[in-house]
Amino acid sequence: MATGAFWKKHENLYFALTNPKVIIGLSLFLLMILLAILGPMLTPYQYDDFAGAGYQPPSREHFFGTTIMGKDVFTRVALGLRSTILVGFIAGTVATLIGCIIGFLAGYYGGKFIDELLMMGTNIFLVIPSLALLIILSAYLQYRGIVVMSLIVAITAWPWTARAVRSQTLSIKNQEYVNLSRISALNLFRILKEDIAANMFSYVFMVYILQFSGTILAAVGLEFIGLGPTEGISLGLVIKNAFDWNAIQLGLWWWAILPGLVLTTLVVALYFINTGLDQVFNPRLREL
Amino acid sequence: MKRNWALLLVLVLVVGLSSIAMSYERSESLVYGGGMWSPASNWNPLIPYTGGHPTGTVGLVFENLFHYYPLENRFQPWLAESGQWLSDNQYEIKLRKGIKWNDGEDFNAVDVAFSFLIARDNPTYYSNIWTWMNDIEVVDTYTVRFNFADPHYQEWKGILHDIAMIPEHIWSKVSADQLLTIANENPVGTGPYLVESVGQDRMVWVRDEDWWGNQIFGQPAPKYLINLIVPGNNNALGMLMKRELDLSNYFLPGIPNIKKAFGINTYYEDSPYMIAENTALLFLNTTIEPLDDRNFRRAMAFAINPKIIVERVYENQVTVANSTGLFGQAWMDYYSQEIVDQYGFSYDPATAKQLLDQAGYLDRDGDGWRDNLNGEAIELEVIVPNGWTDWMESIKVIADNLKAVGVNVTPSFPDFSIYLNAIHQGTFELAINNFGASLSVTPFSYWNWVVSDEIDGDLVTDGNFSRYDDPKLFKMIKAFNMTDDASPRAMEIAANIQQAMLEAMPSIPLWHNGLWAQTQSEYWTNWPSEDNPTGYPCTWGGKWDFGSIPMLINLKPVK
Amino acid sequence: MGKYLSKKLIIYLITFFVAVTIDWAIPRFMPGEPIGMLLARFQGMEGGREILESQFVQAFGLDQPLIEQYFSFWKSLFSGDLGISIYAFPKPVMTIIREAIIFDIVILVPAILLSWVVGNKLGAYSGINKKADNLMMPFFYFLTSSPYFWFAMVIAFVFGVRIGWFPINSAYGSTIRPGLTLSFILSFLHHWFLPFLTMFLVQLGGWAIGMRNMILYERSANYARYMESLGASDRLIRSYGFRNGVLPQVTGLALRLSGIIGGALMTQIVFAYPGLGFIMLRAIMNHDYFLIQGTFLFIVILVLVANFLVDIAYMVIDPRVRYSYSGEVS
Repeated sequence: MATGAFWKKHENLYFALTNPKVIIGLSLFLLMILLAILGPMLTPYQYDDFAGAGYQPPSREHFFGTTIMGKDVFTRVALGLRSTILVGFIAGTVATLIGCIIGFLAGYYGGKFIDELLMMGTNIFLVIPSLALLIILSAYLQYRGIVVMSLIVAITAWPWTARAVRSQTLSIKNQEYVNLSRISALNLFRILKEDIAANMFSYVFMVYILQFSGTILAAVGLEFIGLGPTEGISLGLVIKNAFDWNAIQLGLWWWAILPGLVLTTLVVALYFINTGLDQVFNPRLREL
Repeated sequence: MKRNWALLLVLVLVVGLSSIAMSYERSESLVYGGGMWSPASNWNPLIPYTGGHPTGTVGLVFENLFHYYPLENRFQPWLAESGQWLSDNQYEIKLRKGIKWNDGEDFNAVDVAFSFLIARDNPTYYSNIWTWMNDIEVVDTYTVRFNFADPHYQEWKGILHDIAMIPEHIWSKVSADQLLTIANENPVGTGPYLVESVGQDRMVWVRDEDWWGNQIFGQPAPKYLINLIVPGNNNALGMLMKRELDLSNYFLPGIPNIKKAFGINTYYEDSPYMIAENTALLFLNTTIEPLDDRNFRRAMAFAINPKIIVERVYENQVTVANSTGLFGQAWMDYYSQEIVDQYGFSYDPATAKQLLDQAGYLDRDGDGWRDNLNGEAIELEVIVPNGWTDWMESIKVIADNLKAVGVNVTPSFPDFSIYLNAIHQGTFELAINNFGASLSVTPFSYWNWVVSDEIDGDLVTDGNFSRYDDPKLFKMIKAFNMTDDASPRAMEIAANIQQAMLEAMPSIPLWHNGLWAQTQSEYWTNWPSEDNPTGYPCTWGGKWDFGSIPMLINLKPVK
Repeated sequence: MGKYLSKKLIIYLITFFVAVTIDWAIPRFMPGEPIGMLLARFQGMEGGREILESQFVQAFGLDQPLIEQYFSFWKSLFSGDLGISIYAFPKPVMTIIREAIIFDIVILVPAILLSWVVGNKLGAYSGINKKADNLMMPFFYFLTSSPYFWFAMVIAFVFGVRIGWFPINSAYGSTIRPGLTLSFILSFLHHWFLPFLTMFLVQLGGWAIGMRNMILYERSANYARYMESLGASDRLIRSYGFRNGVLPQVTGLALRLSGIIGGALMTQIVFAYPGLGFIMLRAIMNHDYFLIQGTFLFIVILVLVANFLVDIAYMVIDPRVRYSYSGEVS
């Protein structure tokens, strides 16, 4: 039994690592991580330094050109990417956690009152437009750091995870080994942990990837509206800054468009990993 | 499917052809933006212009007794024909004859008296005049006399061109509890324009062909004034480039760089491009250590380099302020070069360090930052509202400058409400502000704001956010208010005020924000400029009496 | 059928109830002192300030106990009274919203419907055509990964600045009088196009990807193989696959509505398009709590109504729902 599970896991890993989508996605993602980690070291500037003349298109000195004031866009993007990935990590993790807990519980007690209650709450959260809610939440906190912002984003991001996890739990829990555990009077936590969670790992992991990209997009949106972190830099702030300083009208495309391209690449990479893994875990899709 | 489209097309055509009103003729319309930030919804001049009435309500519809043209430092009699002090405490105004409200009634002395009396009997934004004004006499149809208990000569100059005249025959019927809340949708004024229409993002004024000023000043050229709410400077720049906007009163980054290529005009052909409009100051909260020490404050003044801000952030669209913060003809009449030579400051980090060393602000614990006299670390925060992009960049420079002399300052960008709370409640350390430092007819308005004596309440809402408490200085400013124009005594007091402020340094004048104005000549030419001073290219609220009407009169349609 | 709808309706009603409660709490539990902040605009009017202040306190009912405030909030809600805007003093919030909401609808409805239809068609096509698939998929991924506001900026840069065909501001030309006139309609469409295009394209990617995956999934399903072995035409199999794929896409629409509305908000900001999102942002920037309340409420109502419409559509498309809730099939 144990070796079988182990083998199965390896099989999935094998399929995952040979899946072209996963390969492309992972490489892009690693590239972005490298950019975030090493990028700032490639330039001698800080993101707010006056690094050179303004209005410079991309060149060897300034890979992504300079802003109106002569700040180095590449440094801004690389450092911004750092905190954006951090936001995705924190918010994605928190949202997935909340979603999993609520989803597990609801699924485990499927059909009972507690399930109805949790799902009611989830559905309500799902319908209330998250951006509107985010705007209001952020407006409450007039000093915001990266972590606080991640938490705000997470608060509105968990519901669909909960829903997805619930339906998965529902389908798994009626399988025999779960019933067996239940009969042998294992406590709830252990059943959830050992039987259900273990069998859902792949699924939750995929959900997590989507949460990662989803929360990044939500955070960047907030930043663009002007409700982002009140200090530091992030991709959304770089783009907002470019927008505010007329980069589009002045034709400084490298300032307005490149940061977004990096952001989009990051999200695309995550999508690719997700769909690739989907094929891995759903062999029916793999055949094509 | 195809038939549906055809049907729709026919419908559109029919509707289109059958309608009468098409659009405002572009060649007759002046399109501008930059002074209106929310949909027009009331035209009640008793609410100050910050309270929501669209810019132009006072100026285009309601008019003033005088206009004041700051570029010439000259009063232009407007509804008044003349005004003079008959004695030390009596001022007489003679009105022009033949002026009519645009509902056909005559404008006369009763209306003038009423416009002031309404502030005595009701709480309007100019009611405090009545703490130093005794009464008003209507001498005849065209003559009004104001009697003062305590004449504030300097302040009175501002009031003469500031207060809107409202029709007695209409406003006397409004009940007291409604005065401040009615929308006054069809405002009756004496001015050259009327309300035409209002939209979610615009407000259109239409010329009153029977305006009394046509014979005296000439007729304003645009038949329609279309004031757009353009939400951001990026949109404004785009519209200016596309010729959708004739006049933009936004701060537009990049103008020096692209003005030639896109045919955009500014008042000055080259730097500083814009007329100086106000002084941006760094307020230092003098109730906390070490900002309570004038030596420390003075050292800070030497440490900051506004030139970097002017060049990098504003691309030379603004100018560095002199040590007094005074600018513009009316204020500079009182400027004392002697005092500045003796007490002034300029960017000089060496001096800053020296002053800090002398005053005892040394790095005692060797962490690289200077410490307080008692050895505690100095950590200061400088704030501006989040989203105020030019100021946000500016305080980064200021923080860097101060760090360079060993003072640990970090920039911070709280949301506007927190910023406002902080400066009102005194919970800030350093903050940039310019709300009350706008160009005016007298430096009294500047001093009375920067070091206002109203610092005793829980909230300090109107200037002197530093909470600098100096009764002697307050007294001097009061005394200056009681002086007449350019009398030797006035000059002396003014010099003393400047000296006191430079010695104490409660706030540091940094640069002069501009009257942002960019124009293009696709539809209208003859814009005001340095070589063609035909007016004041400004559509901001509360400033139409600075020469915007002459601008409208002198504009020439291209077609 | 009635049961299905009524169950959904109950959920929506509860959501509405929760939303209204949140809405009610917005100005009351804001840190700091909202009313004072509002009045900062009326600076320098000492006495007048008090008059206005007492008016606002009364309007909010802030002098009553919380419970009563809550009930009177509901009461005024049903009488259509959402208070008076500060930012557009003294205009009723209701009027502002009424004027703004039309701009949301004209962008959202066509963008959602068209992108859904076109996206599904393209996705289905790329599900059966390998070449098209390889060509289009990266593009779809790119679209669906773009933040709305950034994509709007790209569109504005390309079509508004570089090529310069379209205006990138406002809802109609500056010299146009709103009304049923040809010039207004043309100008309106001219301004409408880019925000619409943004909304349309970004959503398109998601639908196409979704449908493509559905088709692949369906084609590998047993029934499809069975039909294939029976010699059914490829076309027929495809149409079955498409019909089966459409159902989850309808559900997906309901799930995505809230995100789409968020996207519309940001698109409106880039193009200065005066819809609800734009108004809400202005309201927040101006600390106009009545207006924040009003816009939030209407955005929620918009989503609820849209959800309900999707539910009805789902029921019409999927006969199983109809039957299972009317007891014909157990």
